[in-house]
Amino acid sequence: MKIRLSSSCAFLAYTLLVLIPLWLALDRLIWIAGPNPINWIGSLDENYISQGVVGFTFLQALLSTIVTLIIGLPIAWQLGRHKWPMQSMMKAVLTMPFVMPSIVAAMGFMHIIGRSGLNIRADDSTWYTTLIIAHAWFNMALVIRFCEPVLSTLEPAFEEQMRLLPAGQTKIGRLRKLWAPLLAPSVAAAACMTFVFSFTSFALVRWISLGDNTLESVMAGLGSSAGIPNYMVSRNEIILGASLIQFTVLLSSLWLMSILQQKRQSLLPQASEKFVKTNNNKGWMIVGPGLFFAVLPLIAVFWASFRIRNSDLSETTYSWGTGGWEFAFSSTNSMPSAWDALYNSLGYASLTLCIALPLGWTLAQTIVNVETKRPRYARFLDILTMVPFAASSVMIGLGVMLGMIRIDAEFFYSFWLTPIIAHVMITTPFVVRIMLPALRAIDPSYDECAQTLGLSAWKRFFSIRLPLLRGTILVATIFTLAMSLGEFGASWVITRNSDWTTLPIMIDSLRSIPYNNSLTTPAACAVSSVLMGITLLLFTWAEKFRPSKGGGMF
Amino acid sequence: MKLFTVLTLCLVFVASLSGCISQQLDDDEQVPPSQYEWEDDGELVIATYDVYGLTDELINEFENQSGYQVSLLKLDDAGSVLDHLLQHQGVQVADLAIGLDNTYLQTALDYNVLWEHSAELTNLSESSLLPYNGTYAAPFDQGYVCLNYDTNIVDGENYSVPLSLWDLTSEEWRGKVAIPSPETSSPGRAFMSATTDYFAHDSDNVSDWTDWWNAMSANDVIVTTGWSEAYETHYSGGYGEWTEGYVGDAHIVVSYCHSPGVESWSNGNWTKSAALNLPRASFHQVEYATAIEGGNLAAASAFIEYLLSPAINSKMPIENYMYSVLEQSDLPEEGGYRFNSVVPQQPANVSTTDIAENMETWLSQWNTAMVAE
Amino acid sequence: MLECKNLEKSFEKKLFTEFNLRLKPGEIIAITGPSGCGKTTLLRSICGLVELDNGQIYLDEKEITNIPTEQRGIGLIFQKPVLYPHLSVAGNLKLGNHKGDIAKSLEEVGMAGLQNRSVESLSGGEGQRVALARALLAEPRVLLLDEPFSSLDDELSTKLVNEVREILKERNCSAILVTHNKVIASNFADSVISL
Repeated sequence: MKIRLSSSCAFLAYTLLVLIPLWLALDRLIWIAGPNPINWIGSLDENYISQGVVGFTFLQALLSTIVTLIIGLPIAWQLGRHKWPMQSMMKAVLTMPFVMPSIVAAMGFMHIIGRSGLNIRADDSTWYTTLIIAHAWFNMALVIRFCEPVLSTLEPAFEEQMRLLPAGQTKIGRLRKLWAPLLAPSVAAAACMTFVFSFTSFALVRWISLGDNTLESVMAGLGSSAGIPNYMVSRNEIILGASLIQFTVLLSSLWLMSILQQKRQSLLPQASEKFVKTNNNKGWMIVGPGLFFAVLPLIAVFWASFRIRNSDLSETTYSWGTGGWEFAFSSTNSMPSAWDALYNSLGYASLTLCIALPLGWTLAQTIVNVETKRPRYARFLDILTMVPFAASSVMIGLGVMLGMIRIDAEFFYSFWLTPIIAHVMITTPFVVRIMLPALRAIDPSYDECAQTLGLSAWKRFFSIRLPLLRGTILVATIFTLAMSLGEFGASWVITRNSDWTTLPIMIDSLRSIPYNNSLTTPAACAVSSVLMGITLLLFTWAEKFRPSKGGGMF
Repeated sequence: MKLFTVLTLCLVFVASLSGCISQQLDDDEQVPPSQYEWEDDGELVIATYDVYGLTDELINEFENQSGYQVSLLKLDDAGSVLDHLLQHQGVQVADLAIGLDNTYLQTALDYNVLWEHSAELTNLSESSLLPYNGTYAAPFDQGYVCLNYDTNIVDGENYSVPLSLWDLTSEEWRGKVAIPSPETSSPGRAFMSATTDYFAHDSDNVSDWTDWWNAMSANDVIVTTGWSEAYETHYSGGYGEWTEGYVGDAHIVVSYCHSPGVESWSNGNWTKSAALNLPRASFHQVEYATAIEGGNLAAASAFIEYLLSPAINSKMPIENYMYSVLEQSDLPEEGGYRFNSVVPQQPANVSTTDIAENMETWLSQWNTAMVAE
Repeated sequence: MLECKNLEKSFEKKLFTEFNLRLKPGEIIAITGPSGCGKTTLLRSICGLVELDNGQIYLDEKEITNIPTEQRGIGLIFQKPVLYPHLSVAGNLKLGNHKGDIAKSLEEVGMAGLQNRSVESLSGGEGQRVALARALLAEPRVLLLDEPFSSLDDELSTKLVNEVREILKERNCSAILVTHNKVIASNFADSVISL
């Protein structure tokens, strides 16, 4: 089996860019904190700053998962079993929250519960509930995407038969005997991913909670004091302990997801186009609020960007104005303008795309090429490309900061492109995941036939392979751009230098400005609106070009 | 054969994670600060947190006067300024650091990340030079850190004014005290240092300062990363009420003895905040401007001189809400600024040597005390 | 002229060893044998899609054993027509030779005027005709056929067998057909080899 030069280069690049920083960062942390994992985990409880974090993280993730299922399942049911006007648009709106940058959502929910909204934040339990609901807002898209296809394409004969059997004569009966087993893998998959996303939540926790931390946010906060010899050694232990726990949780969920993926795919062949859906007016009671819920935080952000607080001793009033936008788009000595952030964000996203797309594609292609002849080797490569999935974005940021930058700190600190290392690390596995099923679906005889017609490798690539993969490449492109633009965790850890500021970081910085400046909040919302707008644009394009067959990630 | 390869790879991987690689990299890179060359590139990068007084006007005026291009590297608090300096040891990106105080300075000195500045300092008051008098750090403002309480609520009826810090460990104060963390905040660390002295001299000979912190932890004290979060978001007696993120669940907060004066001055001679003047429960804090190793020493020194010039530094109380470090300077009288500010008669007696020798241990003891049941 | 010397290939079991063949220009031969005996592999190894364990292949006196497929000048018709869905009939044909006469080649295979049809709309037999036209446009020195008629019904396959044989003879193009059907083999080829 000849391994082509491009495959070797791809794997070399991947190793250098992705694996080595993580490994170096680990090495550095262990050098300072010592190699005893029990110490690391123990330190989580022994330090005030991390006390209670593990419990908080698990509990809120668990509750978020449950609430997400409670909100998402009825909506998925209605969408799947009944006919709706503008079905695809409704589905798009309901799944759109998933692609929104977390910092935008954080701003949105802050405004709904904050002083200019419902003003209920002062109550301790409110913010906890809001956090859970915010997680549900993000992740209900998963429930819908995973469960709705199963519901809408089930061969009607199955249900009809069930109705005629004693076990299925009641609704409950059918639920237990037919729907539950059918939906179980999809629900489990959605629950698993929701748990993971809520577990590694950072932006939402940072803003909505009043001082409580998840493992992810505590790691982010400690990042700046980590990796320094003999300085705050316990912080390095905490980071290692938190990383270990997160790594285990993420790895377990990856493994669980791959099992569930197989189960789901064995059910899908039962798909039938014969199923005719009926209208359900009562269903609007579920879908209507669902739609409203999906857009509410985004509307709140946009609306809040024009609201300026005027307060004096006697009262606080709000007025409408564009002062926030002007503030955001002008630069001061301490804060670059939103134009700079926009320029950086778009620049980073494009360059990330230029690296992650070819890299991910070549990696996926190599796996497909090797699969038939050496399946175990292919599996090994496959798992290798998934390593970054088992690292959360803050872990990746720490990896770049403590690993990569340390190789030649002077160079990396002055290099404008350093942050995209993190972006490439985060997006490449997604490209692999998206491209793999598409590449597998290409009939190998297509390429062979072209060879017998005398077409050179380049000609085969451009005339045959590329056109066949066009839809998938577009989805991968848009996904990569959206993820890079909205990336928060890793950038937050790395970016302590205003030359590198991106839109999400700028939103966070603006909102963090203390003292009584009434323009900072509308300014943060203004920049959020810009980011939101770009993301929506990318998302609508992705929806248009999405390949109709499911599989892969989404 | 295959198994052997796999096992060997695993072994190599695990062995390499023992940290030897990092050791190598670090050894190669240690550039002794004294061998650092610096150049004047016409730019000044200041690493700082949100120091109120570093306004655009102040900076623009400096730029006009000196010709240097100034940019600010915004960090979160004194702790993150120190972290930044240490992280970038040998590869600094900033030229000047503003925000280290007398509880943070020693660590920076120990790590050799500061350089001696060449600014001419004259007219500095004795008190400002007390904690440190040398050329590695120039004091630019000072104040007394102490507790502030909300007079509307702590009025003798609902809550009585605490006569001893132990009162704050009682049930009525559960979850109502906000303190910035000594690990990250300079007023927070100052206050903690004060408690080491306070409890060494209180009437109770059995318990010490760590016992108090332990009790406070059990009493749900709110610990924030920085001063502004504690004061703005949690404190009910300050200006936080008029900010967006206000929660107002704390009625006592660690701030400055002159903070009520600031409030009064800003509000036009009215405030609902007062300083708690208990003996040894306040700490004399001096904040420093420090030139960073390998940075633009000329620009840094120029800025220090500017900051300490009579024209600028005399306006510290109004521009930066802190005392000036110039001789014979005082708070303005307008708006009840001076009237509402307290000058503690007996601030905590914690010397610079105490801090230099013990801060690391104190922080560790503080952490243990906060965590213990 | 195609010459195969001592071709050998094993794939879990020995498929063929010491296989020798001499194909004269314009000659058509058929290779038959039961399913799974390695005929397809043999064909694919001749055009270079499969690596041989042993042996040499010569085309017009030049050794082509280690040359990549696209440079060998040997065409292959697959069992099921491999037509690219993103291209029309004409587009597929252009892949064979973009300067070639599309109309003429379609006429030759009895598919005149169907340039702009989409490939999805073609039946099995029509598809194989287009595949054949395309392969011939590339002007191969040898054309290999891997059971192209097996997925068609008897009437159609008989018709196609005769037509394809006529076209190849007219062009004087040598060909090797692989099939398990002895009748088709003897109708199509000048001589039959059994594997």
